[in-house]
Amino acid sequence: MTSGAFRERLLGAWVEIRENLGRSVLQALGVLLGVASVLGGFSISDSQRRRADEMFVKMGGLDKLNLQPKAAVRDGQPTALQQANLGLRDADAIGGEALQANAIQGVSRQKNARSRVVSAYGDQDRQITGIGGDFIPANGYAVARGRGFSASEMDTGAPVVILGTEAAQIFFPKGDAIGQTLRIGAVPVTVIGTFEERVFRFRENQHNQFWWRNRIIAVPANLVQRRMNGDAYRRVDRISFRIPDMAVMGAFAKQLSDLVKANHRLQDDFRLDDVAARIRRRESQGDVYDIIFMLSGVLALVGGGIVNVNIQMAGLKERVREVGVKMAIGASGREIFKGFMTEALLLTALGSLAGLVLGVGFSWIITKSIGIPLYMTPASFLWAYVLAAISGFLFALYPAWKASRLSPMEALRYE
Amino acid sequence: MSTIIQTQALTKVYGANGTAVHALRGIDLTVAKGEFVALIGPSGSGKSTLMAILGCLDLPTQGTYTLDGHQVQGLSGGELARIRNEKVGFVFQSYNLLPKASIARNVELPMLYAGVGRKERRERALALLEKVGIADKADQLPGTLSGGQKQRVAVARALANEPALLLADEPTGALDSKTGAEVLDLFRELHSQGNTLLLVTHDPSIAAQAERRVEIRDGKVMMGGSEEDLMSSSEPGTHPAEHYVGVGR
Repeated sequence: MTSGAFRERLLGAWVEIRENLGRSVLQALGVLLGVASVLGGFSISDSQRRRADEMFVKMGGLDKLNLQPKAAVRDGQPTALQQANLGLRDADAIGGEALQANAIQGVSRQKNARSRVVSAYGDQDRQITGIGGDFIPANGYAVARGRGFSASEMDTGAPVVILGTEAAQIFFPKGDAIGQTLRIGAVPVTVIGTFEERVFRFRENQHNQFWWRNRIIAVPANLVQRRMNGDAYRRVDRISFRIPDMAVMGAFAKQLSDLVKANHRLQDDFRLDDVAARIRRRESQGDVYDIIFMLSGVLALVGGGIVNVNIQMAGLKERVREVGVKMAIGASGREIFKGFMTEALLLTALGSLAGLVLGVGFSWIITKSIGIPLYMTPASFLWAYVLAAISGFLFALYPAWKASRLSPMEALRYE
Repeated sequence: MSTIIQTQALTKVYGANGTAVHALRGIDLTVAKGEFVALIGPSGSGKSTLMAILGCLDLPTQGTYTLDGHQVQGLSGGELARIRNEKVGFVFQSYNLLPKASIARNVELPMLYAGVGRKERRERALALLEKVGIADKADQLPGTLSGGQKQRVAVARALANEPALLLADEPTGALDSKTGAEVLDLFRELHSQGNTLLLVTHDPSIAAQAERRVEIRDGKVMMGGSEEDLMSSSEPGTHPAEHYVGVGR
């Protein structure tokens, strides 16, 4: 058919829609709600997932592989080898980094201690975090005021400290913390910097889920090892490798596990993050919701479609005579079919557009009410539109076919 | 003179064996180009069925029908639609205008189905409306017109594709006698311009306006032709009905 004929049909369909506004609106409503629910469902699911991703990234992220000590126990007792072992130590970090030097973007070490912390204003039993390597960026911290540790301070275990906002508030509620002295156990340390405040709320009105990160009292790991725990073996509590490439991480985890096990006299005295589980979780996150939302959207479209078939069949009864007249003056069944299809598809298109608008509004309201930022992808729009188009097309077929099969003579006599 | 309608032994049976209704029982009819024929008969006589078949709205059960040189029996629905579009113009008792389309568009519609371009359609529609005397109403909706005016629009629409045959089914049935007479005048004018007209009616006074009358009763042609027709019809053929309907005029 020529584009001219198509334009004529479109015009005719538009006239028909406008003249039967009530019926047309009802018909479009089914599509509209279906599209809105598909789009809304997808968008809410996307927003939630993106928020979860943001949280992971802020926590230091999915890209970190953690290695931690674990007791190798047999029959409820630490094994003899475990007791003879040296545990997780710097050598493991250095060896691990050598395995995939190109892919690893940072290695951080952590050596914790618990100690009494005393200043002119406060006196508390606190966790001391001994940090090494790229701990500060890898864990999402940033120095807000003062400075970070220099390489030589890290190396020599200099008596310097950087405080989180909560710690700074507790120990130095008045005046500037920087330059002041704090006593950790028996060791006097100088405050050289403070961290930026860490804030993350999954939903806007929730409490700060990162509040405990502001309690950090960070000193060089070597300081803890040498002067607070008296550990001659330079054991560490955690080693983190930062590897952005998930594919590399899987292979690396295997190599690292073998290496550390070899270093540790074949004892399972360490715990490595389960990368496979993490990848699975990352990939499957929200899948269930997507399926549920898609299903409810599709059901809405199918329900709307069935209602549409009914409306169209009822409408067809009113239009039998019109069809008969058109046939009498030379419209073929094909022409009638095309006319009805054009009308239904035009309605579907209009209904879908309105549905997209409603879906955006719907998603906005829901995400606003649960307090997460709205995030919509073009794919959601496309899905919603394509599903609506398919259902609109399928459910238009039957009434259009019925109309095209009318006998012109009977249609003309229809009262 | 060429023949527009030629039927042979047309029968139409509705329903199955047990309850079969024989609407037409062997119709032989010939209408030449330029004739004005009235098809008369009481209701139930089969004239509506005959009209539907002659108008290619329906197919005969048996028999042959040739319309302006085209064999009609055995055509598909799409082919019938094409023949209706090109060869037949309908005028109905109840006008059957599309209420939501403008008057000009009503007239344009048969041309649209025939694939005539937009501009030409519009021009021809306006010319036809001019011809039937309501060009000034072109952009109004049919609902704003009187019955006589509606029927004029219907006539304009029927003429849209310059059909070989103009079929009018009780065209004055819904009109008062004055407007009915005006519409009949229009038909006579069209006839004088060389159009072939077939007028279906049950009213003998209207049938009397035609050049020739064919009466249908119980699915058969009873008698046909005006006095002159009967006189002027050449030698009687072998088939009895030929005598009445003037084959070989």
